[in-house]
Amino acid sequence: MGELRHRSGETLKASFRVLRDQPGIGIGLSVVVLMLLAGFFLPLPYSPTRPDPLNVLQPPSSLHWFGTDSNGFDVFSRTIASAARDLPLALIGTLLSALVGVPLGLLASTKGPWSERIMRGLDVFQSFPLVVLAIAIVTLMGNRLENVIIAILIVNVPRFMRLVRSEALSLRESRFIEAARAVGATPLRVMRKHMFPNVIGVVLSQTSLAAAQAIGIIAALSFLGVGVSPPNPSWGLMIQTGVRSITSGDWWVIVFPGMAVLIAVAAFNLVADGLQMRQENER
Amino acid sequence: MSLFKLVGKRLLLIPVSLFILVSLSFLLLELMPGNPAITIAGDFASDEEIAKIEASLGLNDPLGARYLSYVGSVVRGDLGRSFFSNEPVLAELSERLPATMELVILALIVAGIVGLFLGVLGAYYRGRKVDQITRGTVTLFQSIPDFLMALLLIFFLFYLWSVAPAPVGRLGFSDVAVDTTTGFLLIDTLIAGDVNAFFVAGQHLFLPVLALGIVYAAYFGKTARSTMAIALDSTQVEFARACGLPERKVVYYAFLQARTPILTYGAILFGALIGGAAIIETIFSWPGVGNWALSAILSLDIPVIQGFILAAGFVTITLFLLLDVLIVLLDPRVRF
Repeated sequence: MGELRHRSGETLKASFRVLRDQPGIGIGLSVVVLMLLAGFFLPLPYSPTRPDPLNVLQPPSSLHWFGTDSNGFDVFSRTIASAARDLPLALIGTLLSALVGVPLGLLASTKGPWSERIMRGLDVFQSFPLVVLAIAIVTLMGNRLENVIIAILIVNVPRFMRLVRSEALSLRESRFIEAARAVGATPLRVMRKHMFPNVIGVVLSQTSLAAAQAIGIIAALSFLGVGVSPPNPSWGLMIQTGVRSITSGDWWVIVFPGMAVLIAVAAFNLVADGLQMRQENER
Repeated sequence: MSLFKLVGKRLLLIPVSLFILVSLSFLLLELMPGNPAITIAGDFASDEEIAKIEASLGLNDPLGARYLSYVGSVVRGDLGRSFFSNEPVLAELSERLPATMELVILALIVAGIVGLFLGVLGAYYRGRKVDQITRGTVTLFQSIPDFLMALLLIFFLFYLWSVAPAPVGRLGFSDVAVDTTTGFLLIDTLIAGDVNAFFVAGQHLFLPVLALGIVYAAYFGKTARSTMAIALDSTQVEFARACGLPERKVVYYAFLQARTPILTYGAILFGALIGGAAIIETIFSWPGVGNWALSAILSLDIPVIQGFILAAGFVTITLFLLLDVLIVLLDPRVRF
């Protein structure tokens, strides 16, 4: 019991050390949490789903902080409300991808002709343009929100598999795996107890990177009108509304949701970058 | 000797890859739900009308028969006709592919130059202030969705400062097109000797190329930084320094070591951008393949989607063959 408490204290201290050495991780994570909290709990000045047709394309003012778009939607309310939809979607999609991809990647690292063949199959799959693939999946499976998550899964699972497999392949040759096998550990135990803890670092940074990408994919999808239906707020959809008015100079319709996407993606990229640097420094 | 062997082996693999590609493009769309007949007929069509369209599309034939006839016509060079425009897919593809290629090649050149500059600089000064700045820049570039970058560039460079033309395609509305020989406007205008048209085409390329170039520079920057950092830590570099070579030479030698992974990455990006530039093409009304595939996907225009998959796959396969040859030529380590 005493030993257990000691160890959890150590991990806490280690986490603090990581946060101090790589401030990007902490900054990125707090930005994401803040955006989520704002999206769910911040009281909005206007309804994000009901437009005001009398106030169309108003520039930012004290009444409409971020202005209004060509339908009369309040850009501020919609930018904030979108966080409650786009971010959870990206997070769920990415976490599920890791959950499926990591065990599959570990399994595919076993020696044999099959793992080679599976990886070649994935190569073909991955050479297909990402966004087009995602759009095709969502369009053909039905224009629903769940299918966006499936699209993110299909895009990301092969990446997690490849990453984990390549890490696992080099781990397999190391002494401690050999030792574990020598004392009679089953392949499953080797994977769970000895390989998984050693790949978790790269998996974490890849998860963060994939989350950043997922936000981009969701924005691209809703920009094209795929996956979300119009009155619902989504950053990509908001930017799409602004395309028509950007050539006449109404910048606010695009810039505010655009900044939101940028900040969310940058936050996840910062976390990924910090985690990767930590890995590099440890080696 | 070994180069010929490698190329020969790769060339033998091409028909096999193409066959897999054709089968995949057929199966992928067969297995997906969604009835194109309903899409064509519209939501209010009667069952009879839908049945008629289904029959005319050959959707009622057994799967095997449809597969054989599809492969047969692809081998004969017939990719079918679009369900909606009724234009032959191959003709439209040969018109649109060069427009995309021109865009993508120029964008990758810009991305390569910017990315390599940032990456090599970061790797050389790794762990110091310069590294932090270049890494920050790369992260920023990477965080901007390409379509947002395009729209911001349109706002600043077209609307505010009017240094770039409106996003209306490869040429302005009032410009006369020149005869098509290669499909690459920059080359065609020079062949036609029309310097004015050459500059107009260049101006219209400016914004989309810049938007894609900046965003994808991030990917080059990341790869360049990590491979150069490894190369600069290698014993060869240490030896080169010990020999008293000037720093420029040392960095050059390190770059020689790092260039193969960077090239590979460039090839992967090229393949991805054939369709990945779709949204940029839409924004700039660019008559390319990505744009075309996108609208085909949204309207379930199956022959067009299949044509696009074949084209993108074919370009990727050819590209990787060229890459393999290039790497063998550049990196003697691969040969042994």
